[in-house]
Amino acid sequence: MIGLQHYLIVSAALFALGLLGVLTRRNAVNVLMGLELILNSANLNLVAFTRYGSGNFGGQVFAVFVIVVAAAEVAVALALVLTMYRLRRTPNLDAAASLRG
Amino acid sequence: MQELQRSLSSFGPEVVLTVGLLLVVLADAGLRTWRNQAVRALSVLTLAGALWAVVDLAGQVAPGPIFSGMLAIDPLGLFFKFVLVLASFILVLAFTFQNSRELAGLGQGEFHALLLALTLGCLLMTGSNDIVMLYLSLETVSITSYVMVAYLKGDRLSNEAALKYLLFGAVSTGAMLYGLSLLFGLTGATGLPEIRAALAGGYDDAGRLTLYLITLLLVAGFGFKIAAVPFHFWCPDAYQGAPTPVTALLSVVPKAAGFGLLLRFFFGGMTTSLAGTWDLTGSIEWPAVLMLVSVATMTWGNVAAITQVDMKRLLAYSSIAHAGYMLMGVVALSANGARGVMVYLLVYLFMNLGAFLVVTLIHQREGTFDLRDYPGMVKRQPVLTLAMSIFLLSLMGIPPLTGFMGKFYVFAAVIEKGPHLWWFAAVGAVNAAIAAWYYARVMRVMVIDESDEPREAWSLAPVDAAWLGALVAANVLPLLFWDRIEAFARGSLTLWAGL
Repeated sequence: MIGLQHYLIVSAALFALGLLGVLTRRNAVNVLMGLELILNSANLNLVAFTRYGSGNFGGQVFAVFVIVVAAAEVAVALALVLTMYRLRRTPNLDAAASLRG
Repeated sequence: MQELQRSLSSFGPEVVLTVGLLLVVLADAGLRTWRNQAVRALSVLTLAGALWAVVDLAGQVAPGPIFSGMLAIDPLGLFFKFVLVLASFILVLAFTFQNSRELAGLGQGEFHALLLALTLGCLLMTGSNDIVMLYLSLETVSITSYVMVAYLKGDRLSNEAALKYLLFGAVSTGAMLYGLSLLFGLTGATGLPEIRAALAGGYDDAGRLTLYLITLLLVAGFGFKIAAVPFHFWCPDAYQGAPTPVTALLSVVPKAAGFGLLLRFFFGGMTTSLAGTWDLTGSIEWPAVLMLVSVATMTWGNVAAITQVDMKRLLAYSSIAHAGYMLMGVVALSANGARGVMVYLLVYLFMNLGAFLVVTLIHQREGTFDLRDYPGMVKRQPVLTLAMSIFLLSLMGIPPLTGFMGKFYVFAAVIEKGPHLWWFAAVGAVNAAIAAWYYARVMRVMVIDESDEPREAWSLAPVDAAWLGALVAANVLPLLFWDRIEAFARGSLTLWAGL
């Protein structure tokens, strides 16, 4: 029987994997994938909590909004990555290290 | 329908900003001639209208929820809205595309549209009464600021700054979202009053542990927005790479909105005592977490600022340190502490915008942000040097200037809590001393040091001189009618948090 805790475990794992991806990956696109995992782990939480608890649909509505925001964020992020590629000829984030101190 | 009408009637500033934003986008797309002038005029008019709408609402609104509890309207929110709209208004007027070497010649439409969207997002942030609204408004502000930082499309630094800002911001807000989802799971509600009521109903040990985790995750999101250590890493880079007017905006407006949200969320949602708004007996230990963050923020900000030679970077670290002082007011957990934060933000607006205006003007004429190019400035441009000295003295917190009043209120609020917090005030005082050292260094370089190579004296444009004068006046004159400002802040201390 699959219960709430199974969802929570999966979402916690997704969150950790996403964070790991963001911290260890050097390619900007891979980092953005890690970001999506983080956002979707929260979505999974929200939907699971709505299904197994609360009794209202606040969580599911929240998840829909999160999906919209994630799309907007990734649109801006990809535009920036494209610009970076145009300026530096690489998608590697290590190349973006002019600002220091 | 009645609910909608009632809500709209206390939603004036946001409606004005939304309409203005749409008009700016339309004008930018539709006009062939006078496009830049038209969007700027529209932007100024919109912000003036929003300011008027805030002032108009301030006297007559009854605290309560609007739009089915998504937003709350109360005097505290209106005070923050006043500060936010005022800051954007001054920014649009004082920082033009003409007096910024970086922005000169670029299209103005997107800038003003983004600025209005950012201000709108900030207004919604300070009014959020629901975690869905909180997240949406926070992301509205974040995403518009990423784009504004990247405004110089062909500039490597601007692009790098925006990319770093975005990645850092997305992870912080992602962590915060995870915390919000757990909070929803724990309480089964998204509205802050319901969350507060659910928490007041008590929780077991597992719930307490979850709440600790939630607090830590949420502090990541809030800390990112107000640039508090350890979520400040984006701040120096984003400030340095962004066009200076955007830097000035970021150092004031989203920070103020972040504090508005912080006060509303923690005092409106995470308190277990329904009796007194500012009294937090029996709640989870989030004040301890914030105290730690506050100490780390001011110390790190001030120590890192000492060695900076890029003026934008120096002011970035200084703005981090100021967030630390303001957090002292939040941690004081009293009405006086909240008032300290509000007064601090109000006076901080004028001194920080002033300092950034000086940096912009020097860059316009001499093409440099480097402090090592500043020597002999007093000979080349004495008026500007005098103005900068006043802004820096105000940032230091020297008594005859308004900066002192901000520090005075937060320190007094911490000290009056009793001897167990005196160490905290002492840390703040030591930090103020460190800060005085590097602000004084900038003044010494400008006034005493001699320039190696002869540089030409230059004159200020009348408009820029007038705005410098106005900002200097705003750092000095408020002390003449300080009782009225204090009454305004004291009267704004009502936070609506009931059901």
